[in-house]
Amino acid sequence: MTDKLLTIEDLHVDITGRRGRTIHALDGVDLDLAPGEALGIVGESGCGKTMTALSVLRLLPNGGKVTGGRILFDGTDLATTPETALRDIRGNTIGMVFQDPLTSLNPTLTIGAQVAEPLLLHTELTKTEAWAKAEETLRLVGMPRPTERMRNYPHQLSGGMRQRVAIAMALVCEPRLLIADEPTTALDVTTQHQILELIDELRERLGMAMILVTHDLGVIARRVDRVAVMYGGRIAERAPVRPLFATPRHRYTQALFAALPERTTDGARTLLTIPGLPPSLATRPVGCRFAPRCGFATEICRTAEPEPTCDSGTGHAVACFHPGGPEAGAAASVDVIDVAVGGTETTETTATTEAAEVRPRPEQPAPAAPPERTEETLLRLVGVTKSYPLHGGPFVRRRTAASQVSAVAGISLTVRRGETFGIVGESGCGKSTLGRMVVGLEAPTSGTIRFADRDITTLTKRELRAHRREVQLMFQDSYAAMDPRMRVGAILREPLAIQRIGDSAEQRRRIAGLLDDVGLPRGSVNRYPHEFSGGQRQRLGLARALALAPSLVVADEPVSALDVSVQAQILNLMRDLQREKGLSYLFISHDLAVVRHLADSVGVMYLGKLVETGPAERVFARPLHPYTRGLLDTVNAPDPDATPAGTPLAGETPSAAAPPSGCRFRTRCPSATELCATTEPPPAEPETPGHRVACHFPLSGGAVGGR
Amino acid sequence: MIRFLTKRIAQAATVLLLVSVIVFVLLHMLPGGPARAILGVQATPEAIAHFNHQQGYDRSLPQQYVMYLGRLLSGDLGESYKLNQTVASLLGERLPKTALLAGLALTLAALLAVPLGILQAVRRGKAADYLLTGAAFLAYATPVFFLGLVLILVFSQQLQLLPAEAPQADTLGGILTDLPALVLPVVTAALGIIAAFSRYTRSAVLDNLSEEYVRTARAKGQSNARIMARHVLRNALIPLATLLGLHLPTLFSGTLVVESMFNYPGMGLLFWNAAQGSDFPVLLGVTLVAGVATVLGSLLTDIAYAVLDPRIRSVT
Repeated sequence: MTDKLLTIEDLHVDITGRRGRTIHALDGVDLDLAPGEALGIVGESGCGKTMTALSVLRLLPNGGKVTGGRILFDGTDLATTPETALRDIRGNTIGMVFQDPLTSLNPTLTIGAQVAEPLLLHTELTKTEAWAKAEETLRLVGMPRPTERMRNYPHQLSGGMRQRVAIAMALVCEPRLLIADEPTTALDVTTQHQILELIDELRERLGMAMILVTHDLGVIARRVDRVAVMYGGRIAERAPVRPLFATPRHRYTQALFAALPERTTDGARTLLTIPGLPPSLATRPVGCRFAPRCGFATEICRTAEPEPTCDSGTGHAVACFHPGGPEAGAAASVDVIDVAVGGTETTETTATTEAAEVRPRPEQPAPAAPPERTEETLLRLVGVTKSYPLHGGPFVRRRTAASQVSAVAGISLTVRRGETFGIVGESGCGKSTLGRMVVGLEAPTSGTIRFADRDITTLTKRELRAHRREVQLMFQDSYAAMDPRMRVGAILREPLAIQRIGDSAEQRRRIAGLLDDVGLPRGSVNRYPHEFSGGQRQRLGLARALALAPSLVVADEPVSALDVSVQAQILNLMRDLQREKGLSYLFISHDLAVVRHLADSVGVMYLGKLVETGPAERVFARPLHPYTRGLLDTVNAPDPDATPAGTPLAGETPSAAAPPSGCRFRTRCPSATELCATTEPPPAEPETPGHRVACHFPLSGGAVGGR
Repeated sequence: MIRFLTKRIAQAATVLLLVSVIVFVLLHMLPGGPARAILGVQATPEAIAHFNHQQGYDRSLPQQYVMYLGRLLSGDLGESYKLNQTVASLLGERLPKTALLAGLALTLAALLAVPLGILQAVRRGKAADYLLTGAAFLAYATPVFFLGLVLILVFSQQLQLLPAEAPQADTLGGILTDLPALVLPVVTAALGIIAAFSRYTRSAVLDNLSEEYVRTARAKGQSNARIMARHVLRNALIPLATLLGLHLPTLFSGTLVVESMFNYPGMGLLFWNAAQGSDFPVLLGVTLVAGVATVLGSLLTDIAYAVLDPRIRSVT
């Protein structure tokens, strides 16, 4: 094992909570890494991928402890080496980048001080020399105007720039190993792409090894040499990246791939889901950890723990008694899940409820029932704008255009009854503001919003209250949107009580019906929101939105916080309910794959403007706006061999307080001219009716390749 | 930063003007009016009318307020009924002494409370944390007068280590030469503040220790002691700055008890004696000073905030 840079052998980590409850977060993890090699660790939340990364530098959270195994780095066992010796390695020969660039930098220290800090700790450089080196590293990570940035504070930088700072901090001592824990999860698609490219390029230049931890199969596909898939605190499968993506063998890995909306672009098809929840690690499960959710599980899976068997030729190791054969390939993965879906669709609830409480959904909707889409216009927005004053308070005299943030700047769109209208865009493009205006939580600065042929901007208070029955909101974080001290029954009854619908018996009956609809046990009414898992909370959020039987649900990033397998459950549920109840959705998301899967029509927003709208298939297949095209080219496809068709978007979104003149996208547009700076492009339909684009130089066809 | 400061100072000036209005209104709400208060219940109506005319109390209220404000700005706060001295000169004598006592108490509190709070945070859930937490609650719950009595009993009566009476010198320099006599008043005034501040420091440090930037610092190889000094402390001091500014006015009322207990010739004692003798101009003068202290306290808080937190500096 001398040629390895890092060897993790049979690593066990326990985390003891404040109430003395112990979680066996890692239970026998084996990994190794050669110098210069890139290893990806993937898995859903709670599988132990982050704990593995943190335990290398012993940065485990409070109560966390390595209880067994070895972590050999360059001949030193990091699991047992004294803290002082470990401090010489941290930030020096092993650098680490964390998920959230917002919170992982100290808000009260300058960028320069933070980037130079590791140098002052680990090298003999003077302060001046260290600052010079720090500045050079900032230049290396692509920070514009590094000299000026050295004296800035973190809050003065955008999210992407902060992550560059975090990377500079990790690289400033030129480590031999970089550990990146979800380094791009908190970033927008285009920024994410830029950061991943940067890490790739730096790794090449510095010859570093890397461990890239992520939940996103798309992120690792083209970035690493080998992949380890984790489940329940153990490695389920370990293989070079191409074989793993081509023929995943562990049943869990197969299911994970099958649940990706990218793999099921046909919106009429039900997404393949993984039933149930990952195991609680408070007790060591008997048998295979995936067996309770696996369609292939047999007696041996429930009694014995599978040991990884490694194919010495390919280096493909699988810990599964019934692995999918290499010959079966992707087809097998579809089969396994179909079995599971048919059998135990509602078992997500079983982890926390007694079996007796579980009521099956009244009946599985016929999978082929076409959505009840009509030509009737349900919602029409004409020239809607929303501006916020930049400074508030009694001492502000003027409210000029210069002191306003133009969040939404003239949006016109139409949603038909029964359809799903997807709004995509990066953070700060105004998509959530738009959703809030449609629901009536905020009034537009100008423009009209017509819902079922009534202008809701002119409604009286009483009429607005009645209108709210018709339009409901579903949140990204349903847990934060529910009163933690109210029981589920009270949460679901509240909208009925506010709108004075039915007596208490009628309300109880309705609530039971709602819980049936979203696949939660009726006994849930007596429980509190914190007793539910993320997916179940999202089901509750949907139930609350549906309590008043609305005709439009505005869903603001409803699946962004969920793991892939649970995300698929919620998307399926939303689509089934749409068919049953003839609902319309205004589906707001930054995730192109999710929108592509679910939406009939789609609108692409950039900096408060709708740059392109049209039928989803057309917009995604033949984008007309350079921004849409750029977004599609930037997406990380979960395919190691995918080649991006065009050029990914460079640069960053400008501030909405000072948007560019003319076309707002021109500062990042490859084909921008003088005209774009002076004249705002009017919407036009250059190719097919209904496919509108606001661009002086729309792309003339040419399908997006690669997928 | 300059814009921020001018804005805050303008706001503070506005509030001070409102304070003067309130004090003016209070002056006119004196039972029977100021004439009755000064000339006594036996005064004839003619004497009262004469007095009112002499003092300008027969003019319209806005006119009177302008006159009052004019006098205020020239430093004329009226005359004490009892002490035969102007209120301004009384305050001029007493205010520095109270400021000295309060300042010493606050300094002592900050010097002790911050390290104690850090110690508790670092030793969270260990014996030292529980012990200090218990002590802090005890000190916080004990009334100042009782605490003072106990201290006098123990350190002055029993152990004969420190005098029970504060320094009586006229000048600040004189007071400072009699340090042993200052110990008990300062400690009495400081104990409650130490208790409160150490609790706040503890929770602020704990909050910051669980922040992710601390993990980043550890990942760089920084030692725990330097993480505390370089990263955590400054962030933790931001909420404490608020507390400090808000404590300024309470400190004044706290010294009222301490001063009368140790017979310290400060503003608190002045207020106490004036209240006993219905010496209204003095009472209102002290009230005005307390109002100014409150406004200054929050102004200082804002400035401290801007110095400590770069985010505030650029936003406002």
